[in-house]
Amino acid sequence: MLVLTRKVGEKLLIGDDIIVQVIEVNRGNIRLGIEAPGHVSIMRFEVYERIREENVKAASPKAAMDIQRVADLWKKNKGENH
Amino acid sequence: MKIETRQFGTMVIEPEKIYTMPGGMPGFPGMKRFVILKREEIWPFYCLQCIDDSELCFYIMDPILFKADYAINLSQTAKEAGWEGDLEAIKLYVIVNTSAGVPEKITANLLGPLLIHIKRFEAVQLVLHDSNYSHQHPIFETR
Repeated sequence: MLVLTRKVGEKLLIGDDIIVQVIEVNRGNIRLGIEAPGHVSIMRFEVYERIREENVKAASPKAAMDIQRVADLWKKNKGENH
Repeated sequence: MKIETRQFGTMVIEPEKIYTMPGGMPGFPGMKRFVILKREEIWPFYCLQCIDDSELCFYIMDPILFKADYAINLSQTAKEAGWEGDLEAIKLYVIVNTSAGVPEKITANLLGPLLIHIKRFEAVQLVLHDSNYSHQHPIFETR
């Protein structure tokens, strides 16, 4: 991991076209501005992690057994068929 | 073309109906080709079966069936995915999770919906990082 120090207002260039600027530092909170091309996805890491963990759980082999029961329950509750 | 599926054994599918996910899915790098299997016995769920790994499948459903007001910014997303225009060809699904082991407790991931483009045969899983939706939204109303 590259570790470096920047002051408020200073920037980083990542690759050719991604610019990260330190906008504000306030009691442990750091506000960043990011300029990047539209196809580059930028997200809070914790949200990505939540989705990743949820995907792993959803793909559990046990799900195949359960999905049939859930489908039966759905049809019974909603009283409908496709 | 014959494929192996996790739930339904060997199946014959049409190769042109394979969806590619250029960005893959968080947690499953390299898994980029999927088919959507529609079987009456598991409706309202569909099986999102991976071609690259026969043991990998997800169950997806149309969120309108349990949350009619679910909404995402489709035009913005389509732009990010490189799917300009033709928003009608985009279908929205959510991935469900039965890992609680009790059918009543099934949840849907509204924070990471799946968008599929039925003409391009491409799919993306979004990560709605600025949304209040839950990644574990109950499908059955809690009483």
